Amino acid sequence: MDETRDGEGSSQPVEAKTKAQGMSHQSDVLPCDQLRDQVIGNQSSHTQLMETLLHLRQTVDDCITQLTTRPPQLDLPLEEQRHNQATGEQEAFLRRVVNLLQSGAMWGLGLQAPRPTLGPRDDAGGGQQAQLSRQLDQLVHQLSHLEVAFVSHDLSNRGIDISAFERSKFQDFKTYQGDKYHEDKNTMGFINLGVSENKLCTDLMTERLSRSDMNHLEDALLQYSDQRGQPFLREEVARFLTYYCKSPARLDPENVVVLSGCCSVFSALATVLCDPGEALLTPTPFFGGLVMGSYLYSKVELMPVHLDSEITDGSARPFQLTVDKLEQALLEATLKGKKVRGLLLINPQNPLGDVYSRDSLEEYLEFAKRYNLHVIIDELYMLSVFDDSVTFRSVLSMESLPDPNRTHMIWGTSKDFGISGFRFGALYTHNKEVASAVSSFGFLNGISGITQYKLCRLLQDREWIDKVYLPTNHSRLKAAHRYITNKLKALKIPFLNRGSGLYVWMNLKEYLQPCTFEEELLLHHRFLGNKLILSPGKTYMCKEPGWFRLIFSDKPLPLKLAMHRFYEVLAEQKRDLRVKQLEDPQKE
Amino acid sequence: MFALPEKESRAPSTCPGPASTQDLDSNCGDGLERECSRKPDQKLPELYGVGDPTAGFSSNSSHLSSRGGIIKWFWDSAEAGYRTYHMDEYDEDKNPSGIINLGTSENKLCFDLLSKRLSQSDMLRVEPALLQYPDWRGHLFLREEVARFLSFYCKSPAPLQAENVVVLNGCASVFSALATVLCEVGEAFLIPAPYYGAITQHVCLYGNVRLVSVYLDSEVTGPDTRPFQLTVEKLEMALQGANSQGIKVKGLILINPQNPLGDIYSPAELQNFLEFAKRHELHVMVDEVYMLSVFEESVGYRSVLSLERLPDPQRTHVMWATSKDFGMSGLRFGTLYTENRDVATAVASLCRYHGLSGLVQHQMAQLLRDRDWINQVYLPENHARLKAAHTYVAGELRALGIPFLSRGAGFFIWADLRKYLPEGSFEEERRLWRRFLDHKVLVSFGKAFECKEPGWFRLVFSDKAHRLCLGMQRVRQVLEGKSQVAEDPPACQTQEPRDRHRHAPLSAHPGECGTRNPGSTHLSTLPSLVCWLFPFKLISSWSQYGY
Repeated sequence: MDETRDGEGSSQPVEAKTKAQGMSHQSDVLPCDQLRDQVIGNQSSHTQLMETLLHLRQTVDDCITQLTTRPPQLDLPLEEQRHNQATGEQEAFLRRVVNLLQSGAMWGLGLQAPRPTLGPRDDAGGGQQAQLSRQLDQLVHQLSHLEVAFVSHDLSNRGIDISAFERSKFQDFKTYQGDKYHEDKNTMGFINLGVSENKLCTDLMTERLSRSDMNHLEDALLQYSDQRGQPFLREEVARFLTYYCKSPARLDPENVVVLSGCCSVFSALATVLCDPGEALLTPTPFFGGLVMGSYLYSKVELMPVHLDSEITDGSARPFQLTVDKLEQALLEATLKGKKVRGLLLINPQNPLGDVYSRDSLEEYLEFAKRYNLHVIIDELYMLSVFDDSVTFRSVLSMESLPDPNRTHMIWGTSKDFGISGFRFGALYTHNKEVASAVSSFGFLNGISGITQYKLCRLLQDREWIDKVYLPTNHSRLKAAHRYITNKLKALKIPFLNRGSGLYVWMNLKEYLQPCTFEEELLLHHRFLGNKLILSPGKTYMCKEPGWFRLIFSDKPLPLKLAMHRFYEVLAEQKRDLRVKQLEDPQKE
Repeated sequence: MFALPEKESRAPSTCPGPASTQDLDSNCGDGLERECSRKPDQKLPELYGVGDPTAGFSSNSSHLSSRGGIIKWFWDSAEAGYRTYHMDEYDEDKNPSGIINLGTSENKLCFDLLSKRLSQSDMLRVEPALLQYPDWRGHLFLREEVARFLSFYCKSPAPLQAENVVVLNGCASVFSALATVLCEVGEAFLIPAPYYGAITQHVCLYGNVRLVSVYLDSEVTGPDTRPFQLTVEKLEMALQGANSQGIKVKGLILINPQNPLGDIYSPAELQNFLEFAKRHELHVMVDEVYMLSVFEESVGYRSVLSLERLPDPQRTHVMWATSKDFGMSGLRFGTLYTENRDVATAVASLCRYHGLSGLVQHQMAQLLRDRDWINQVYLPENHARLKAAHTYVAGELRALGIPFLSRGAGFFIWADLRKYLPEGSFEEERRLWRRFLDHKVLVSFGKAFECKEPGWFRLVFSDKAHRLCLGMQRVRQVLEGKSQVAEDPPACQTQEPRDRHRHAPLSAHPGECGTRNPGSTHLSTLPSLVCWLFPFKLISSWSQYGY
């Protein structure tokens, strides 16, 4: 219970931070700043939650006192805890409270990339001892954050932020980790449709990676390499992107930098393009993991360009990004004194699944050029366009870029090849300065030579990719997508029916009464309670409550079970709503 | 090139240290960065130096942020030495007249053993879990293996815990992450100099943390002392000095076995340093990346994890990697061991940027688990080969009458080439380095390690015999030619290696400093732009970079 101790021992002045927080709130910057103050910062809209939190706190405090006076209990693994009849009920209650508070705080922060960044697989057995005690620790942390009171004497302030961020986010995930669904061993476990991973082709990938050509070793692979990445890999990446992005001219390996994951690429890029406190425009909803990418190390803020689900003048479809919206967001940012250095685009979009048309893309790039903004374009899902009728156009396919020196493209194998565990990301930029500066991170974000070799072999095998992998992957994605969308249609749940990505963006606001983020969160927890992990829209900075992202790239069996649980929760939710509706008029 | 600004030109003449010298090629082998700056009127100018890695930065870019410009400059300067080397790398068949690299600290002696082991079937397993998002701290199976491995090889009195292990892609990342979570922007770590200069960049790039050098010198002051010996007094002085400049020091970095000295701290010394840190509430980062590369049995190396009782376990953080001890710097596997859960968690949060492929994690676990192979095949053979290579290079240096320091650990010899520098300036040191490079041998000069005495060079000997012989032959050619030239100014030939014994090779002449002309530090210098990365405007620090 170290953290508990830390949580109590605070005396550090916090005014300055609170002030800073107030500012960032004012300026409607994505609230990745100073987690511990954030909840306080968002008062206006979150009063209700605050009250709930404070109310629950008393109860929880009592329970903590009770529980901490029984240390042996706390050391029991979660499983045992759960089966412990004597204390089961109370603890279950506590767990719910903890969950609620945690996610409440999370929700207040508004920026969680919920589970996507959490990851462990086979470590499930490991960290699960004293789960409950850890949850309590985390709870104390959270509460401390609410009070702006948490200080660790060992960490720097930014260290505290970084670690608090992780703790708040890890909460649900740790629970998941200890109780993961498994086809044979744990059919009652959590099904994770929150993390964007493609698990449909692990058979193909395992087979390909097991072939003997992958296991080549030479001394250069075990030695320091060019910090930008091994030349053979950069050449292969350039060839690969030339081909799959349909680049009009051969791409130059000198413009390629490879690092350990797209998160690293983005972080390095944000660092060299922006000074601390500067911002990137970001159409929302968007993949929240990038907030961390930009924030943990680089302290670069993301400035949301809020999109509407409603189709209005000038837009042809829901959540459409228009230059008007960009102009407006830029203006607002400037008025607030924010220095905007660039625009962040994700194409195919995550979580919408939208693909930008050639014309739109060009307009966005022209907009950026007008204001000397960099454009970071993340094409992480470019080969996960499974619907043939959808035409994806990579930014690298354009005949001429409006501002080539300020256009930077990111791609990796995590999504398109379903190997997020490989930790590979690539930057393509015409700007030599940017490439050089990002290369400085080659030491800190480098990839193992052995991994670089395997990646090179993989990208090289055009035959296998074109004839085996991509067709299979697309048809499996299509089937899984069809299965999920049919279910949603049957349930009359509106969703964006797109042919790319690994996810469906759906609207569950019918199930929220009232339609608030508080209710969205409660519904999210209802899913969790039924062992199903989805990502609520709030974590994508969506400004309308009720949206959820569902990952469909899982095997048929867990997918089917997941939809069953999904249905159960919604049915239960609906019953409750009816009761509520019945009660409400009676109250009046 | 920039002129030395007015107010800085009154740098004390008693200080011929790095502050006033030029470091033209800031890389000479290891991707090293160096920094150096000095407050001109500080009391004890030679005892410590506050690093300012960005002091020489000058360019401006329309596309990069301010810090981006500095970071790019890091890259450009790091490239300098390497660029020449990479364009003309030695290859037995294809480019026999290419450059031999005795600059990068890599062990190239055991690739045959490693290649064989890494190709065995247990290494090649591919399974879905390894292809998906890992636990950011590292897969549990690997962390467990690391804990067992370190318990055994560090001779830990109690089994180490997997919970205290965080796996990252190399020790560079460990430094980066620790700097970020332990320090605010602009705060500092103490580090005894000379030291592995790349650390400067590691703690600066993301963390904006700087290093305060605790300068050690070659002079032996008493019967029980050795050259470049670190003492608690020196640490105290440096800490005081930094504090008096308003610099907040948050920790102490110890490299053990030391790079570039090859020195080893005795348990008593280690304990003293740890006690010092505890007194001042400093974190201690102990880099033990060469712990299994102690090839001289008699040395008696002790890991900090072997101590019965750590003075301040919550502030003691140990790092190790396979880069050196298993000759796999390209594998990018490093690990942090800390009992401090807050630190471990915070570092783990940053692991999303420093992750390691699941397949490689599997391989590492298999490797570390194979105690039989390590103990019976790899380590004995590796040590024997290191010893042989060391003996050869040591012999060559003795034949040249060059004093050197090397205590049976690491891959390098710290050689005293001061007699080849008539004026004893860093400019000469750099010129000599350039001469080596022109003669197709890449070595590292002392300035790259923030050594305050010009004339020291690091030679890496852990390379195959044919390359090593050729490299040493080229070194000899340069020195024999150079030596004659150097005889012209007689004052500089005062030092003869009076002791050719390896363990007490040095004896700096007390008077020698006087013969060195501090005015030789007239080199063109770049004025420090106001340090973008650091909030401390009160320190005017200057250093020289460029080409």
